[in-house]
Formats: sequence, structure tokens, C-alpha cells
Amino acid sequence: MTENNNQLYVNGVSLSFGGTQALIDVSFSVRGGEILAIIGPNGAGKTSLLNCINNFYKPDSGEITFNGTQITKLPPHKIAKLGIARTFQHPALYTGLSTVDNLLAARHIHMHQTMVESILYWLGAQREEVKNRRMVEEIIDFLEIEHVRKATVGALPYGLRKRVELGRALAMEPKLLLLDEPMTGMNVEEKEDMARFILDIHELQDTTIMLIEHDMGLVMDIAERVVVLDFGRKIAEGVPDDIRNDPVVIKAYLGQEE
Amino acid sequence: MDSIQTEILDTLPKYFMEQVAKYGDKKVAIRQKEFGIWQEFTWQESFEQIRDLCLGLVSLGLKRGDKVAIVGDNDRQHLWADLAIMSVGGTTVGIFTDAIPSEIEYVASHSESVLAFAKDQEQCDKFLEIKDKLPRIKAVIYWDTHGMWNYDDPWMMSYEQVQELGRKLNEEQPDLFDKLVAEGKGDDLCNLCYTSGTTGLPKGAMISHLNFISGVEAQIKLEPRDDTDNQVSFSPLAWIAEHTLSVTPHCMAGIIVNFPESPETVQQNIREIAPDLIFFPARLWENLTAIIQIRINDSTWINRTLYKLFLPIGYRVADLVYEGKKVGPFLSFLYWLGNLLVFKPLRSQLGLERVRTAITAGAALSPDMLRYFQAFGLNLIQVFSSTETAAVGTQHYLDDVKFASVGKPIPCCQMKISDEGEIWLGGENIFHGYFKDPEKTAEALSVDEDGVRWFHTGDAGYIDDDGHLIYLDRLVDMIELSNGEHFSPQFIEGRLKFSPYIRDVMAVGSPDMDYVTALISIDFENVGRWAEKNRIPYTTFVDLSQKPEIYQLILEAVLHVNENLPPSGWVKKFVLLHKEFDADEAEMTRTRKLRRGFLTDRYGDMIDALYSDKDSIKVSAVIQYQDGREGVVETDVHIMTLEEDKIS
Repeated sequence: MTENNNQLYVNGVSLSFGGTQALIDVSFSVRGGEILAIIGPNGAGKTSLLNCINNFYKPDSGEITFNGTQITKLPPHKIAKLGIARTFQHPALYTGLSTVDNLLAARHIHMHQTMVESILYWLGAQREEVKNRRMVEEIIDFLEIEHVRKATVGALPYGLRKRVELGRALAMEPKLLLLDEPMTGMNVEEKEDMARFILDIHELQDTTIMLIEHDMGLVMDIAERVVVLDFGRKIAEGVPDDIRNDPVVIKAYLGQEE
Repeated sequence: MDSIQTEILDTLPKYFMEQVAKYGDKKVAIRQKEFGIWQEFTWQESFEQIRDLCLGLVSLGLKRGDKVAIVGDNDRQHLWADLAIMSVGGTTVGIFTDAIPSEIEYVASHSESVLAFAKDQEQCDKFLEIKDKLPRIKAVIYWDTHGMWNYDDPWMMSYEQVQELGRKLNEEQPDLFDKLVAEGKGDDLCNLCYTSGTTGLPKGAMISHLNFISGVEAQIKLEPRDDTDNQVSFSPLAWIAEHTLSVTPHCMAGIIVNFPESPETVQQNIREIAPDLIFFPARLWENLTAIIQIRINDSTWINRTLYKLFLPIGYRVADLVYEGKKVGPFLSFLYWLGNLLVFKPLRSQLGLERVRTAITAGAALSPDMLRYFQAFGLNLIQVFSSTETAAVGTQHYLDDVKFASVGKPIPCCQMKISDEGEIWLGGENIFHGYFKDPEKTAEALSVDEDGVRWFHTGDAGYIDDDGHLIYLDRLVDMIELSNGEHFSPQFIEGRLKFSPYIRDVMAVGSPDMDYVTALISIDFENVGRWAEKNRIPYTTFVDLSQKPEIYQLILEAVLHVNENLPPSGWVKKFVLLHKEFDADEAEMTRTRKLRRGFLTDRYGDMIDALYSDKDSIKVSAVIQYQDGREGVVETDVHIMTLEEDKIS
């Protein structure tokens, strides 16, 4: 995969909740245009790490830069504008809105019309609306969710909701996509579909993807590099084959005996 | 405008070109929903797509008589590919989208396909898996590029690449396409349709242009179809019916074919298009009644009230229609009102608002079901056909619907019953045999002295006095009686169960018996309600089942079924059982299928009595209660013998 300059550097990040150390001096980088997986046992600090990148949590120390910009101090919406989109472990959608509206809502960072223009729905505003709808429809087509286009998101089954959430992240046209367990609670077929979508996004748009996932088989299949966390520390980093055979990783997952 | 001069229209591409000459870019030929909008394609656009693709296929080496496999959903590209292949003079081999690689391998290699169309990554991956086993196939052409960006196998080609080749060839030889179309002949094979045999490997039925053309020509005589008709193409194109309902009428009558956005959106898309003709298999119609009832129950009070108020009026009109009587002015007015308030909105909800002809096939629909849809103003007709008859055969005529029958032959088609009681269909629409299978062809196809091809359906049936075909059962499931006649237990049981008063039936007959009898178990709830309404006192199931009035009630149902049977298959005696068939007692399976062997043993005495001259039999059946205890019921069960004059 060609390198682009959408690189993320995580440098010495630590985070604690009271006496609990969630992240201890974690450093790694995500190269532009790669798929990086973060793995680790439960409570290893994976989601906390994503939350630090989004700035939902403020790290106690360390810094994160994206594309040369220091983002540690920026509020989440500014980070989104820089091109970092994410999905959550449990879909966080507007449950009362339809799929289309959820996706359109994510387009707001690309909308430029003023309030007056939108109310009057003049040419510019109309053009922009059509453009955004077109973009959303392409995502709907891409993720094969045409049949739930107008359905209320709250009533959709879990697997589909996760797909809509991925769609919403895509609607932001992100440079870096953070996926927090995109395949939890899915059956084998849904997981395979999701893996296919992730690979397609990567291939088609050269988006940098960072994902957290528990299903080792899938991680090893789709990730180019893997970072392993355990009790807040980075214990390994490398290509899937090396990680699979790394004694430190095996110990973290299976305990001392192995 | 490229137009071709053809004296006789005997192939589908020739018909298609006639429509192109007629409508050009002034009229829509095809629609498909994409990105949430119905995209329209005129006849001219459609023609250019087909021409480029057709010549592209020629560039890839496709020749007259070659076979091309297609696997993919119903998309405009699928139809274009189909017509492009036919334009070269090739034969389309449809494969169902859910086929696994080994099935694709069998059909593609048995049919000797030289090229293949595979819609998308999913289907292409199947072909890649079996690439080594398909040496004949020169290229696999895909039309959905999702996920195909990084495939570098030169075996895979995109639709556009092939069309690009075609455009080049068209520049070099601008007359080639017209020439290819003009060279086509009516007897050329245009479709090799593999039937999913329940036993053995699938067989490829060879269908010619004239098979389709004669069948659809006859159908159009009964049910005119014109260029304003909308059809939604959702049945798999690998299935012959979709060719008879969409592709052929598209070429012959210029109907507009609408393709759904995706297989999951078919219901929504039907509703948006509101097609003029709809075909669902029987099971889907049954589902639909359930859906309507559930939705009505979930609806508002006012909707429920209106539905309850007007449904009986719908039924009354339906009955008059079936009896061929005139509907009076007052009832007409009420029905008009009901249509306005209930029936039309309901049909519209289901996308059936504009349907002139609704078709069902497969299992027999109960008269109740037909009546229900007729009450909504839907003329539901039954069709009996198969792949080998190009999906036309017999059907109900709109003014001549008979519940028990599968209608009369349509004008291109003849029928007869062989000496073995097998239904034979003959005519121009009958296929030309199974590809590379002379043995199976000889079993299924014969040509009489007039040169008419006859297909031996393998189904048992008979023709009634009005010329209607009554379908009984698969021939192999018919049971022989001692007098050499055959009957179908499933047919009798199925038809008797159409009566609301009958819960279960076992029809009895075997090679050592000379007539048919039945063990009938009444529907306690419905019969009980009927008894209360008619002031007939009763205590228990046993008591109710043995009332003479109830015997009379059931007798009517039995006589009604006998009316639709050949005399050899008439039920001559029956008993009303003192209990219901019970899965707990192993009389039925958990899915309520009769366990015939067990029942024949268990009711052996009763069956013996049915074939003697007794008029009742004492039964003492051991009954297992649901808590595990056992009890004994002793009673006399009457045997009802149908009098000769009543039978005939």
C-alpha cells in the first residue's frame, strides 16, 4: 500500500482513572494507508486509547499528533474535522432517525451553507443537499443497506446498526477511521461481510484504518500490523505472523503455563 | 436509427430490434433503482448496450450455437447480457445465485459454456475457485465492480472492457450486429434451463426462440400486454418463468421491465412500481394473507372497523363473480365504496394496486384463499406449467375460474391424458429435449404423427367435463387399486382439508382394495360452533363426532371433493373418528404429517370394516393422557356409505 501522509503518532501516552492506570507510556505510530489492529485481553486499555485519540479522555501525559497537528488538546469535533472518524463498541446512532438521516447528519462537517440559505433552500443550498445525498447514497450502495434506507435505526437488528454506524463514519470522508470492535455480536456471515467492507474501504479510498477486535482469526486476516496492549502497556508490535508466535503475547492471552 | 428488415419475426432479438425501431429514444424500456432513484434507460440506450456487449462477445470468440453461463441477480445488465448472447446466436445458461461452486462447475461444464457472466465479487470468487476445472471458459465477465479493483487475473473481465472491444468491432464492421441478428432462426436454442431435479443431477432443458414466442403469443391473446405495462423482474432469471413473464413480453410487446435495487428491496420496489402483472408462488400468497391480517390487527380502530364492514361485501361480490352472475346496483355501489375505502388502499400498500392478472403456481391454493383475494378485487389465477413447456401450459381464464382445476390449455398448447393417467402437454412451446441426455429425453418427450412435440409431465391428472385440467399428484405418488385404477391420497386429503370442519384425513386404498375410503377427524372447534348454531346438543368429542347431523355435514364436503375426481378415485365410505390424530400417540409427526404405516396398523379393524358390509364398528382405543396416564374409550363408530346415486 502506498504511503500517504495521514500518519498518527502516539507518543508516551498515559492515562489513569483515580488509582487505576489505564494506559502507561504507550507509544506507536500508524502509517498512512495501513490497517493497524489493536488487540489485547479485556481491560487492556484498547478503547481508552481510542478515546484518547478522539479526546473523549484527556491523557495525563504524552502527546498525539495527526498529520503533523498536535491533537491532544483539541476538542472532539475539531478532531473530526481534521478527518478522524470512529465507530463505537455499542452503536451510538440517532435511534429515532432513519438510516439516510443518520448518514446525512455526519455530512454536516462538509456543509457550508448558512442558515438563511438553507431555510430559503436557494440554488447553492439545493446543490449542496443533492451533492450530500448523492454521497450518502453511494455509501448506502457500498454497504448494501438499501433495504433499510428509510427504516428507523432504533428498530434495526444489531448487525445492521453496526453497518449504519460504519456508514456514518464513512460519510465524514475520513482520512483515519477508528473502529472499536466492529464485529462484536455478529454471526459469521455478518463478520465476513464487515471484513469485506473494511478491506474495500481501505482499497478503494486508501483510508488509514485502526481497529480494535477480539476475533483473532479476522484480525490476523485483515490487519497489516498489530499492536498488543496488556494492562495498559504496549507489550508487542509487528506483523500478524510475528505476533501470533510472540511468547509475550501468548503469555498475556493464555497465562503462564503456555 | 439502425433498423433491420426482417420478414418473419422468429427470434427474440428480432422482436427487440423492432421495438427499438418503433420507440428509439422516445420511450423508456428499462428502469432500475440505483442510489435511491429509479434510473431510466430508453430503447435506444438499451440497444446500444446490447450491441456493444454482443460485438464484444464476438471479439472474445463467441460463435453461433455457443453456450454462455450467467449467474447474478436481476439487473439490467443481466437482461442485456441475455439479449446480447441471443443476438450472436448463442444460448444462455442461467445459474441460480445461491449455487455453490461445485453446482456451477457441473452446469457450466455440462453445458459446454465458453464464456461466463458473474455479477460480482461473490460470484467471481466461486468461478476462481473452480477455474482449473473449467478449461472451456475463456473469460468471466462481471458487471458489479465492488471489490473487484485488485483482481489481476486476466480471466476476469469487466462488462465495460467487453463493451469497449465491441465498440471497436462496431467501428470496423458497422453492419455486423444487424447481420448477426438477421441470421437467427426461430428454432435456434436460446436458453438452456437446468431444472433442479429432486433426484439425480440437474437436466438442461433446451428452449428455442419459438418456444418462448409461441407461449407468450398465446398468453397475450388471453391477457393483452402492451407498452405501458410495468413488470417488476424479481423471480430469478435462471428460472424459466421470468423469461416468459419479463424478457419475452419485453421484446414482443414492449412492456417496461423494472429491476429492483437489491434482492432485499423487492417488496418496497414492487410497491413503488405497482406492476400490472404479478406472479407469486402459492406459498407467498398464503404468507400475504397472514401479513394482511396481522397489519389490519395492528392498524387503527377505524381501519379495523372498515375492514370488518366491507370484507363481507367483497366476499359477496366475489361469489357472484365466480358464479358468473351479475352484481346488482346496490351491491355494486357498496363495493365501489369498499374499494375506495378499504380494498384499493390495501392493494396499494402491497403494490398490487394496478395488477390486472395475479398468478399463482405450485401447490393448490385453497378456495378460501382465492375468494379472499377476489374480494379485494384481485383476479388470482392458477397456472400449470413447467420448465419443459416454457412456463406456459394450462391456466384459469379470467371468466372461467374453477377452484379445483388448474385451468384450460392456452391457445398454443394442447393436453391429453396418457393411458397411464399422466398429463401430457403438446405444442409449439414444448422444449427440444434435455441437453446431452437422450435417455431422459426419450422418457419425457415424444413427437406424434402430426409432428407435435409432447412433454410427459410425470404428473397425474384428468380432464373434467368442462375441459378443465384437474391436477392430482406426481405420478409416482399415485396408489393403485385392485381394479387397476389409480388414486392420489394426498389430493383427496388436501381437498377435504379445505373444509373448515375437517381437521385431518387419511385416505385409504391399496392394491388389494377396490375402492377408496377415508378416516376423517373433525375440527372440534368449528364443528362444535356449527352444532351450537344449529341447536344440536353434544357433550364430548366422541359424542359430537358420531351425531348423524355431523355425518351429513361432512358428507357434503366429501361429495364436493368427489365431484372433482375421476369415478375410480371417489371416496365410497368414510368414518368420523372418535378422536383427533395425535402426535403424542405417534399418529403424526411433529410437523403434522400422517404416519401412514402406523395408522394403518392402529386402525386396522376399522379399515377392515370399511371394506366389509358392516355399518358400524366397536372401538376401544387406548388413549394416553398428556400426564402419562392411560385410559380406554369404548364407542361405536358409524360407517357412512355413499349411496350409488349420490356418488354419480
